[in-house]
Amino acid sequence: MFKYIEFSIYGASILLILIGLYGALVKKSLIKIVIGLSIVDAGVHLIFVAMGYIRGGTAPIFSPGFENDASRMVDPIPQALVLTAIVIGFAVTAVALSLVIRLYKHHDTLRIDEIKNLKW
Amino acid sequence: MVGTPVLLVVIPLLAAFLIPLLGMIWKELVRIIPGLVLLYMFILSATLLNQVLHTGPIVEVIAGWRPPLGINLVFSPFSGFLVTLMTFIGLMVWIYSYRFKQNVDFEPAKKYFILLMMLVTGSVGIVLTGDIFNLFVFIEIVGISAYALTAFYTERNSAEAAFKYLFMGALASTFLLLAIMIIYTQLGTLNMADIASKMPEMNTTYKITALVFLLTAIGIEAEMFPLNGWAADAYTESPGPIGAAFAGIVAKAGVYAMVRIIFTLFDVEGTMQFMLYIGLITLIVAETTALRQDRLKRMLAYSSIGQMGLIMVAFGIGTAEGVFAALFLMFNHAIIKPLLFFSGSYLVYNSKDKFIHETNGMGKHIPVTSILFALGAFAIVGLPPFAGFWSKLSILTAAADENMIIIIALILIVSIVELVYYLRVVNRIYFFKMAEGVEPKKPTFNALFVMVTLGVIILLVGFYPDAITGVLHKASGDLLDKTKYIQDVLSLNP
Repeated sequence: MFKYIEFSIYGASILLILIGLYGALVKKSLIKIVIGLSIVDAGVHLIFVAMGYIRGGTAPIFSPGFENDASRMVDPIPQALVLTAIVIGFAVTAVALSLVIRLYKHHDTLRIDEIKNLKW
Repeated sequence: MVGTPVLLVVIPLLAAFLIPLLGMIWKELVRIIPGLVLLYMFILSATLLNQVLHTGPIVEVIAGWRPPLGINLVFSPFSGFLVTLMTFIGLMVWIYSYRFKQNVDFEPAKKYFILLMMLVTGSVGIVLTGDIFNLFVFIEIVGISAYALTAFYTERNSAEAAFKYLFMGALASTFLLLAIMIIYTQLGTLNMADIASKMPEMNTTYKITALVFLLTAIGIEAEMFPLNGWAADAYTESPGPIGAAFAGIVAKAGVYAMVRIIFTLFDVEGTMQFMLYIGLITLIVAETTALRQDRLKRMLAYSSIGQMGLIMVAFGIGTAEGVFAALFLMFNHAIIKPLLFFSGSYLVYNSKDKFIHETNGMGKHIPVTSILFALGAFAIVGLPPFAGFWSKLSILTAAADENMIIIIALILIVSIVELVYYLRVVNRIYFFKMAEGVEPKKPTFNALFVMVTLGVIILLVGFYPDAITGVLHKASGDLLDKTKYIQDVLSLNP
């Protein structure tokens, strides 16, 4: 049977990554770039969690009634990793936004094509 | 026994978060604690290095979960050598910046030392860890503290440099996570030794995709062309000692991660050649760009990127001789470049734009700083009898053994370019007249102490290269012996 759920999750996360990359690489506003970066992050996190997904799976805990269900358990490692990655992504976004505030105070604009004092 | 490798990561991390609390008790503690921590780390790391050179690597298991399940730290001759070098540079940076903002304000100094400790924690962690997700976490720790340190001075245009760095760093971390995901879904493990032993089973398409993502992500920290657009700006806009820390600590950790991935984790044909050519391109582009710069710190930054390219070339040669040369270059670069940054920031201390022509005539007014800058410049170009000469000689002989004539020629041509732009500065320092109204800044005692120490090391290694070559040979042998790395980690007894 074709796995619609898995397929739609993978499709959605790849779409999110592409939307985020578009926002980060094409948009001129610094705020939109930061939003784009965090959308890319969200897409990667979603695809990572989806890798551990099992249809009809259970929580990876040996509790009464689930003693023999090791093969049906959802892989907990991607979830643990993604939890760490979400926190890191949050910190990066916070630093990015504070830098955007500093840039706005310094240049009075948020358009990235008007801020180019530094280049090769 | 003074401690175990895990303390090298835990102690600075703890210190970083204790600094603000201790600062409430006595403000001076904010400055003293980082120094004590770095001194302890250096002594611990040097002792452990001395030990592993005789007895073999220490593999430390965290929280009792043995590899391949849990996280482990590997203190081998190679990683131990780098950690010792990095903690030494950290200590030098601390001595140099001990009085950082002392008369101005308490808040900036506190933040500065917290971020410096985080930077050291992350870099040491990158080198020691044996787990690929842990590597990701440490890269992010380095990244976030480096963005904040780049944007440290509010009066400069530093936020722009920091945002550039952050943009590349954030994309890099996304790629790194994707690569980790591919490796985990294919091999079901995150332990680096386990990945290395299972790598032949992996489908080639996935393997190459993961490798490309990893190299892109780590190439940013290692200042690989064309991912190094951030580096020159970050070096220029960050506080002076942080430029030295980037060159001596962060870039070294980046190269380590890259080398570990190429030499140990993956067995893809042609990666060495890729590293060789990308290093060569980095070297040529960066050195020719350095020639065009009119600001001192930007010139030093591009020179630093060029040196990282040279290190990649040496690793890319791939033979034992090449790896030895690369490690020698890493050592020299970690010693000489901070000296250039420290003395260079005194040469242009009171100028706003840090132009090279503002160093005119400094040789008469601040003679010691000037002569140390000249020493560093000669050493990094590779003039005998300074330290840089031996590393450049060893990379040329390594290339000659492999009959890479064109590479030898290119390295020599680029060295001439390097010589030209460094001599231009030295010439201005000694033979030009100082402009009106320029106030030379006398270096503080701490700064002088650091610069003289680094200068003495350059001379010592220059006259007695044997003092360091023994360690380097063992470290390069350790890196090339992949089977032993896997065996050391996986066959660990409880």
